[in-house]
Amino acid sequence: MNMELTVLALSFTLLLILGVPVAFAIGLSSVATIVVAGLPVAMVFQKMVGGMQVFSFLAIPFFVFAGELMLYGGIADRIVRFANSLVGHVRGGLGMSNVIGCTIFGGVAGSPLADVSAMGSVMIPLMKKEGYDADYAVNVTTHAALVGAIMPTSHNMIIFTLAASGLASVSVLGLILAGLVPAIILTLCNLGAAYWVAVRRGYPIHGNFPGWLEVIKSFGAALPGLFVVVIILGGILSGAFTATESASIAVAWALFVTVIVYRTLTFQNFLKACAKACKTTGVVLLLIGISNAFGYFMALYEVPQMTGALMQKISNEPWVIFLMINILLFILGTFLDMAATILICTPIFMPIAMHFGMDPMQFGIMLLINCALGLNTPPVGSVQFVGCAIGGISVGQVMRTIGPFYGALTLAMLLVTYVPQFTLWLPNLLK
Amino acid sequence: VEFRSADIHNSDDYPTVVAVKHMSTVLEKLSGGKHKIKVFNKGALGSEKETIDQVKIGALDLVRVNVAPMNGICPMTMVPTMPFLFRSVDHMRKSLDGPVGAEILKSCESVGYVGLAFYDSGARSIYAKKAIKSVADAKGLKIRVQQSDLWVALVSAMGANATPMPYGEVYTGLKTGLIDAAENNIPSFDTAKHVEAVKVYSKTEHSMAPEILVMSKVVWDKLPANEQAMVRQAAKESVAVQRKAWDEAEGKSLANVKAAGAEIVDVDKRSFQAVMGPVYDKFMTTPEMKRAIKAIQDTK
Amino acid sequence: MFTKFCATVSKICMVLAVIGLIAVILCVQWQVIGRYVFNDTPTWAEALAMLIVLFVTAFGLAVGVRDAGHIGLESLVVLLPEKWQHRIEVLIHALVGLFGFLMVQGGWLWASAKWGEKKPMLPVPDGIDYVPVIIAGALILLFSIEHIVALLRGEVVEPVWE
Ligand code: NA
Ligand code: NA
Repeated sequence: MNMELTVLALSFTLLLILGVPVAFAIGLSSVATIVVAGLPVAMVFQKMVGGMQVFSFLAIPFFVFAGELMLYGGIADRIVRFANSLVGHVRGGLGMSNVIGCTIFGGVAGSPLADVSAMGSVMIPLMKKEGYDADYAVNVTTHAALVGAIMPTSHNMIIFTLAASGLASVSVLGLILAGLVPAIILTLCNLGAAYWVAVRRGYPIHGNFPGWLEVIKSFGAALPGLFVVVIILGGILSGAFTATESASIAVAWALFVTVIVYRTLTFQNFLKACAKACKTTGVVLLLIGISNAFGYFMALYEVPQMTGALMQKISNEPWVIFLMINILLFILGTFLDMAATILICTPIFMPIAMHFGMDPMQFGIMLLINCALGLNTPPVGSVQFVGCAIGGISVGQVMRTIGPFYGALTLAMLLVTYVPQFTLWLPNLLK
Repeated sequence: VEFRSADIHNSDDYPTVVAVKHMSTVLEKLSGGKHKIKVFNKGALGSEKETIDQVKIGALDLVRVNVAPMNGICPMTMVPTMPFLFRSVDHMRKSLDGPVGAEILKSCESVGYVGLAFYDSGARSIYAKKAIKSVADAKGLKIRVQQSDLWVALVSAMGANATPMPYGEVYTGLKTGLIDAAENNIPSFDTAKHVEAVKVYSKTEHSMAPEILVMSKVVWDKLPANEQAMVRQAAKESVAVQRKAWDEAEGKSLANVKAAGAEIVDVDKRSFQAVMGPVYDKFMTTPEMKRAIKAIQDTK
Repeated sequence: MFTKFCATVSKICMVLAVIGLIAVILCVQWQVIGRYVFNDTPTWAEALAMLIVLFVTAFGLAVGVRDAGHIGLESLVVLLPEKWQHRIEVLIHALVGLFGFLMVQGGWLWASAKWGEKKPMLPVPDGIDYVPVIIAGALILLFSIEHIVALLRGEVVEPVWE
């Protein structure tokens, strides 16, 4: 390993251990490297601005904003009612309606964090009141929230297409389609885990099936909120709008629904949603920009090639390579946040995966699920932290009973990794 | 010294990549092994715009880009982009090899770039679902253009709806009908798979905007005069290699797109030429530009 | 006094960021309207949206840095004695502030180098892309100093916006 790379790796690790926020850790280690390399420090900032100037990245603030509007605009309540009418009467029903609700809301809002905040604050207290244990309530919510990362609309998908753009052309639309089947599998795994734990702990049955009329009525009430997905998918599929344009229209629609249809968004909450969206935009876009500088060094000093060679020394079996990639991604994901993991790991691992026959879209979905798992893993598990805060219990308590949920998600991830059809079937069908 | 040169093309066999590699071989021989060039293609050092800026401050030694992203920095580079300026590929090569070409390359020096060579980028034409045989057929069509004022004006002059869009989104745009048409040379029509989306390539040949190879003025000024001459000589020798590779690539791509079912249509160029006056009026504003245009038109 | 000044600056940043975000959305929607209603795609809309979003990022980021609260406490540093935790927190803010300073410097260099070039599609200099870098850097530096001062005084920086 040459001098520059050593400086890059060491300074980055040191800064992360110290607890410097990840974007600044990347930035400062890039500066240190460029000083050692004898290039002008200003280059870091050029790569930073260059990394931000990609049109499709405009979709990110839009998706974040739309998610925040839904979070503050009370769309969650309607979704809870719908999910509850559907499966509320089954054993552990509240847990299962939580899974369905979280998945739908996460699908629409696009961010696991917004999902756990919105659905969690409705569902977790409700479940506790009905006699469910807090650790169960939190685990159900946080794991269901993860699915939102691979359902349309997801700004993390946009981040992945950006990170992959130099290596292969991955369309936003293709990725969205590739994520649908795995999202359904993940949801089934979550439902299975929720049911299994409920049976084992002997949670009671609540009430009767309210009848299809109530299901239809509550679906009708939730429909205007769910229509966002129709706008985004329909807009891109029909060719009427680009992904970015669709996302901007989704914001307008979310505003229309929460202000005019539901009349739930107060001006105060509108401002909160705006402020939150701006802050998230700032942090995420800084990360995207600064990762471009980091990626520049990795390309310059051929890190992907070196990593690939190293892995091939260990094995030449595709399944071993894919397993190693998953393990490394998981380890990085435990202490990095989703966007950072995507931006740093895509250029390193995607070429290797592709070399061993993995489709870029399949890789993308595998990466997203793996990163999502990291959101529920300490030391830095933002979704888990929020869930625990709402549930009023510690991360340690939640970790003790995370097994079934984790197992279910890992199973889904392995299916995506080793069975290409799961991801590629739908995009190929619509080609 | 091993100079670093950037190129955004992915293929290691792309004509401009091959040319700069050849330049390295020549330079190594001329300098007795003292200098050579390492080509970082596949956009490894950044986008065209980013690498141009790196060259400006001397963080990168050389870069090969299309003239379009240089237009805002060094306005004389707009001259060879002007619509229907060159009568043929031969006319273009002869003009750029001559004093006009040298003057345009020289003009970039005051803003930090030493222009070393022009490379071919072929003639650009419009492709769409339907044939565009005269300027009337282009009216109202949503045609994708590069994000450049000159290109917007050029396509707008045809009465079309110029739609600036990044290159990477063109394929999906054509496929979904977000845009009706795009314009590019045959190799791009082929390698970017745009031929899968639309089949009719109407040979408008509206522009022959070349590629340009520039060196950082900061780096250049540190070289002694005899080594500067070596760099120039090596660059000059690479041009013939690039043109030969280009002609081959174009021939291969033409066969590819035909095999993919493309229809190549001849057009009434005069009808297009007739409406290009405003583009010249708007962009060819300085006496130097007007003189260069005249000189090219007079080149036999 | 200093804290109050920083709080006001932060509030102004947030207002500007929100206005910017809405402007970006309107630009993109105006592009859609232009394409479908007037069959004339406004060529400036996308370029302007991309420029404004850089400013939104700058202001949003600066406020994000100010409102971050106790940074670093999600790392292994929590295992150290409290006195050291405090020192490391100061160090982290100093490092973030250093990066802010470098942003100002680097942004300034690029902005001035590219001020003479015209930005495609918009009647502004190309160097304007780097103005948000300068602004963000200066604000990050300011807010890092505020955090350090607060830490040394044993105070906490209160977020102005929830
Ligand atoms: Na989603
Ligand atoms: Na984690």
